[in-house]
Amino acid sequence: QNNRTVTGKIIDETGVPLAGVTVAIPGTRTGTVTNATGLFSLNIPEGTKAVKVSFIGYESQTVSLTDASDITIKIKPDNKSLSEVVVVGYGTQKRVEITGSIGTVKGTAIAQQPVQSFDGALGGRVAGVQITVPNGVVNNPPVFRIRGTNSISLSSYPLIVIDGVVSFTGDIGSTAAPTNPLAGINPNDIESIDIAKDAAATSIYGSRGANGVVFVTTKKGKQGKAKVTYSGWVGEAQAQRLPKLLNAQQYVDNKNLGIAHAAADGKNLGTSFAINEDKNGNPINTNWLDVVYRKAVSHSHAISISGANDKTTYYMSAGFTDQQGILRRNEFVRKNILFNIDQKVGSILTIGGKISYANEKNLSANSSGSLEGEAFNSGGLARLAFLTGPNVSPYLNDGSYNVDGGVIGTMGNVGVQSGIYNPQVILDLDRSNSINNHIQSSIYAQLRPFSWVTLRTQYGIDQNHIDNELYENPISGDASPTAEAINATGIYNRWVWDNTIQFDKSFGKHSFSLLGGTEEEKSTKELFGIDRTGQNDPLFNNVEGGWQTTNPISSPVNTYNYLVSEFGRLNYNYAEKYFISANLRRDGNSNLGKNAKYGNFYGLSAGWTVSNENFWSHSSLGKTLNDLKLKASYGKVGNASISDFKSFSFYGSKLYNGDPTLYYSQAGNDYLTWETSKQLNIGLSFGLFDSRLHGEFNWYRNNVDGLILFVPMPPSAGVPTTIPKNIGSMYNTGEEIALGATIINHKNFTWNSDFNISFNRNKITNLYDGATQIISQTSGLESVSVQKVGDPIGMIFVTRTAGVDPANGKRIFVAADGQKFEFSLYGGGDGLANKWMTTDGKTTTRSVSGADAVAYKKTNPTFFGGWDNTFRYKSFELGILATFQAGNYVYYGTNAGLKDQRYWNNSTDVLHAWNTPNQKTDVPRVVYGDNISNGSSFPLDVNVFKGDFIKLRSVTLAYYLPGNVLTSTHLSSVKLYVSSNNLGIWTKYPGPDPEVSSNGNNPGLQGIDRNTLANGRTLTFGLNVGF
Amino acid sequence: CQKSLLYPTPTTQISDISAFDTPERIFGQVYGLYGQLKDGNFFGERYQIYNEVRGEEFINLKGNAFTALQTWNFSVNSNAQEVENLWSSAYKTINATNVFLDGMTAKGNTIVDAATADNYTGEAKFIRGLSFYSLLQLYARPYWDNPTTNPGLVIYLEGNKNPASYQKARSTVADSYKQALSDLDSAENLLPESYEDNSKGQNTTRATKGAAIAIKTRVYLSMGNYDQVIAEANKIVSPAAPFQSSAGLALVANIKDAFASINTTENIFSLPFTSADVDAPGTQNSFAEYFLPSSLGGKAEYSLNASGIVAEATWGASDARRDFVTISGGSPYLIKFSTPSPYTDWAPIIRYSEVLLNLAEALVRKNNTVNAQAVALLSAVRHRSDPSVTYTTASFASATALLDAILLERRIEFLGEGLRGPDITRQGIAFPAKGAASSTAPTSPNYIWPMSADELNQNKLAVPN
Repeated sequence: QNNRTVTGKIIDETGVPLAGVTVAIPGTRTGTVTNATGLFSLNIPEGTKAVKVSFIGYESQTVSLTDASDITIKIKPDNKSLSEVVVVGYGTQKRVEITGSIGTVKGTAIAQQPVQSFDGALGGRVAGVQITVPNGVVNNPPVFRIRGTNSISLSSYPLIVIDGVVSFTGDIGSTAAPTNPLAGINPNDIESIDIAKDAAATSIYGSRGANGVVFVTTKKGKQGKAKVTYSGWVGEAQAQRLPKLLNAQQYVDNKNLGIAHAAADGKNLGTSFAINEDKNGNPINTNWLDVVYRKAVSHSHAISISGANDKTTYYMSAGFTDQQGILRRNEFVRKNILFNIDQKVGSILTIGGKISYANEKNLSANSSGSLEGEAFNSGGLARLAFLTGPNVSPYLNDGSYNVDGGVIGTMGNVGVQSGIYNPQVILDLDRSNSINNHIQSSIYAQLRPFSWVTLRTQYGIDQNHIDNELYENPISGDASPTAEAINATGIYNRWVWDNTIQFDKSFGKHSFSLLGGTEEEKSTKELFGIDRTGQNDPLFNNVEGGWQTTNPISSPVNTYNYLVSEFGRLNYNYAEKYFISANLRRDGNSNLGKNAKYGNFYGLSAGWTVSNENFWSHSSLGKTLNDLKLKASYGKVGNASISDFKSFSFYGSKLYNGDPTLYYSQAGNDYLTWETSKQLNIGLSFGLFDSRLHGEFNWYRNNVDGLILFVPMPPSAGVPTTIPKNIGSMYNTGEEIALGATIINHKNFTWNSDFNISFNRNKITNLYDGATQIISQTSGLESVSVQKVGDPIGMIFVTRTAGVDPANGKRIFVAADGQKFEFSLYGGGDGLANKWMTTDGKTTTRSVSGADAVAYKKTNPTFFGGWDNTFRYKSFELGILATFQAGNYVYYGTNAGLKDQRYWNNSTDVLHAWNTPNQKTDVPRVVYGDNISNGSSFPLDVNVFKGDFIKLRSVTLAYYLPGNVLTSTHLSSVKLYVSSNNLGIWTKYPGPDPEVSSNGNNPGLQGIDRNTLANGRTLTFGLNVGF
Repeated sequence: CQKSLLYPTPTTQISDISAFDTPERIFGQVYGLYGQLKDGNFFGERYQIYNEVRGEEFINLKGNAFTALQTWNFSVNSNAQEVENLWSSAYKTINATNVFLDGMTAKGNTIVDAATADNYTGEAKFIRGLSFYSLLQLYARPYWDNPTTNPGLVIYLEGNKNPASYQKARSTVADSYKQALSDLDSAENLLPESYEDNSKGQNTTRATKGAAIAIKTRVYLSMGNYDQVIAEANKIVSPAAPFQSSAGLALVANIKDAFASINTTENIFSLPFTSADVDAPGTQNSFAEYFLPSSLGGKAEYSLNASGIVAEATWGASDARRDFVTISGGSPYLIKFSTPSPYTDWAPIIRYSEVLLNLAEALVRKNNTVNAQAVALLSAVRHRSDPSVTYTTASFASATALLDAILLERRIEFLGEGLRGPDITRQGIAFPAKGAASSTAPTSPNYIWPMSADELNQNKLAVPN
């Protein structure tokens, strides 16, 4: 028998060579394993048609042999693998044993995404997980919801656990450049993200589990020789779907038309707008969008060195990324380094740890107007971009800034403003930066005195030292004419110490795993700094320079919270058919009332792998439906993310006649405790055709009780502050479907597809005594959201209208009682403003206002999801991730501004404003100064739109350099790709993006688009090289 | 683990658990109560401004609802910011005194010596009594109008600290006055005549026995209980001129001194302001900001009414009090409070001249004669500012003439100090028309303020006015 030698290389789907992979001849004992560089050499008998490649954690693959003697075989991770493990909190568990609801995202899926932090790239990948990127400001935390919104006053952001240490979340900076601490991890360093959704999976985190738990695991070295990789990309981003604005001529004509209409109504305003000329005598026609937005350039680079032998495992990486925002001067720059090591000491002890350092620069000129609380900022740059008159220019003809008394100059306009601040001045001179020096580090020791006992202790820190540095110029902006510089240090420090003991033992077909542990965690927050005004010279633009006044910053902070816990978990299974799991946790939390510090939380779950029953696997149905598992869970988890010290009663200190005083300043609640969430989950997972098609279905219901609300009290009680009280309740219920399939599995062409869709229904069932609704404001100004008993959280709250009267062009408003009234700014002919009339033209003393608003539409989608496809053809790979949602509405408040008939520039919609009798249009007759008819004064239903969309979230085309080329270059893998985020969007929403939030993560204020910066579309080119 | 960390001791605020631990903290709280009293929405100084502009002496120039336009023209609704804010600020003060008194009982009395504890308790009761009385002037019908049936105040005498619904009905006007008097009686018994340390004007900026008595003359006058006005006033007014109290309360020779240096024998009780951020009156709260013309650093929210008291012929040109009026841009302005921003003039709450005029009025009203002592008291006040005038019983043809002269003297003497509104309502006369604002009769619902809408919304037992 003639033998021949086949040599080859085994690589993973990203082209990285894999060591230790078994290559064998099917049906024989002949085989070998790949060496450290992924190479193998195997003697095969003549006539052998195929080899079988198998590796733990990867799909086994039988590869047909050709005459070629040197082959490269790519294998891909096996999502269904029996050995696949899932991070479950203080440990891992085999996926097949999981009875809770946990979704997993592989690190490879997000590694090359042009995002600042991983959370922004999770959208559409896991059922039940909704990610809303609120705007195009870089490093802004996304709105992150797991199974709906589970709180009204507290955070609805899930708990993020990075390598066993709970991370800070949200915007922890104090400037206009948001500072998401999750950006401290280079997405490239993430191995996997496991998202726990039901109480069975989250109850091990007890009082913090109600919003779900996200476990982030960073990469470790793998057995074999040292592996070195480089990955990098360069790209550009551009704003998309910006509103179409009037040009200078249209603006001047429209405003003068409004002035003429006012005059026709009996009000001579004595103002006018004019076309101005630049120094060359050409008419000025400024597109302010071009002044504020830009084509942003970004690049990112990371190298890693990793490896492992039987004693030592190590991984080290360093990264640099510089990502510009589409808003000029907005930028994110991160330098980071990560090192982890695990060392076996003797036979029973392992010691290891990690250190991660990141210098995260979040840069901005000044407010984009897009963060929570900023929507109506006078200097909000996104708003200035569409508000400022196009007939004035950033510069006067002598080259100096066009500024008059701090606001933009009017040039030839008479008696009117042309805008608020000159955005060019702000963009040139201001600074609002937060620089986070961020250390995440941990060390552990693990002892296994017996094979079935594991003792482990881990101490971890998450330290954020943030330098908030602001400067506002004296020429145009909020600090004009004195200028202002602020330097404030923010310190967010946390330490976590946990100790666990775990017993794993099997008796025959009975398998037990028992975990017990304790944890302590302390988090401190500090913010302090100085605020200087009265610039002595334009040179002095930092606090260290020469200024006239020095004050402390207005709201210094020095608080902490402490958590102490005991927890346990028991997993039992019989013959891998019947599974039971129980979790218990007792938490003590310093932020709660002194009589309610401790709480107990639990989760119980059970599973039945029907397909492991003989009757099933031997049946004909079992041959097709090869995998079927039923599961159910119930548990109680909590949410205690209330601000530090809110439950306490305090005395503050002021002065009386220059002497110190103490005064009763905060009323507390000794019984303030967590919001509790009782969660029921029933699900099944299945695999068909040898799991070529697999899926999971879950139904859940979360009843949230004891919602913390700040209940108003009669003033006569004299209590100095509203007191937080556990009083409201609501529920979320829904269904999740996830399907995965290998649709085509051809030698040269494969198509894998994963689809998920989630339905969620939210309802508030109780607020506090006597309250049926709580009205919530955007940026403290616009009452456009309402929390109402019987409705979902965050209903849009607007006043109804009934079109534009074709006879006279007036907006018809609907009062709370259903009566209709028409509004005209100067309709009375007496020169006085704000006239209301009945629809038959009679003057009336009635008026319609924000007090007539109704809970109009919901902002939660009926369903949302994602569809992820991977096509592979030879060395090419095309990935397409589409996300979608439907059933929600968005309040496009920006649109009110875009039709505001004061000096503001308008969208081209106003060109079809009513102008002749019997004209049918949805834009009322323009009257200069009218800010009521289109919704600027109080919010109107005409600015509420459906938020349904389908988005091409991510499209990537990659090319893997073939093995023969690689061999000659001494590289082990090379991947080239081109990728785009937000390549396309299909929506009827008229604003830039229905995925938007003017109120950040605020639970009750979603679905509001008020003066927000648009989102960008990115295009990147990338290169990954393995050496 | 560190269980103590579960019960944090914050470093930037003092927990209620330890607020009564040291004599210094307890003393700080006493000053804190005065600090509450001088909150911008209450005695520092909107309470006085509202009461002043309800009267006929001022003309609103700015038409700004945030600077008392609606109070000036009698168009306030129950959700007007002044109606809601003053109610809430006064009750925060009242509750702060209740919380303090509870804390003294629970712990404070064991930390400080008995005399000090009495003194502090007296101060808290003085503040509470003054607050109750003052709320009645705006939110309740005057005492002459069915006091045992008309609704007065919601009265709490225990500290409210916990989340509860706090539903409580309003007591009657009579019961509310009774409570104010009970607090002031108690304060009189507990307070010292004067303070050992008067280096920063403690005798003026802290309550004294004399202050409690002086406020009681005001309270009884509002109730029309002239016997008690006389009885209280006699405790601190000597039978014959020069009028003074045993503790040294007396008129100062020059009335301007009572506003310039503030800490005088005449300033029985005043609230101090300094330029420090948390000790200044704050925006849109102070007399000087409202009344000073812009040429003198004010906001000229109100000028004096040219046809008001300034037009009074019997108010002589040589009267020193005429110097409190200046003409700016053709209009008269009050410059009694003259410090520009941050407007650190102290707020006079009660001066000795008021006690003298209260006593004089009570004597006349009680006896309905040209009472010699009443004439002497009135004369003391007039003569101090206008040496050309000395009244004798011959100066007045009748008791009515004397009474009119006393009431006129009050308008001159206390112009801008916030007494005019209560002086009108206690007499049951109409608020006169002024500028664009028309007259408001005692029968009008606007004669007093409406009840706070916040209160009506949250306290279902509270009734509207």
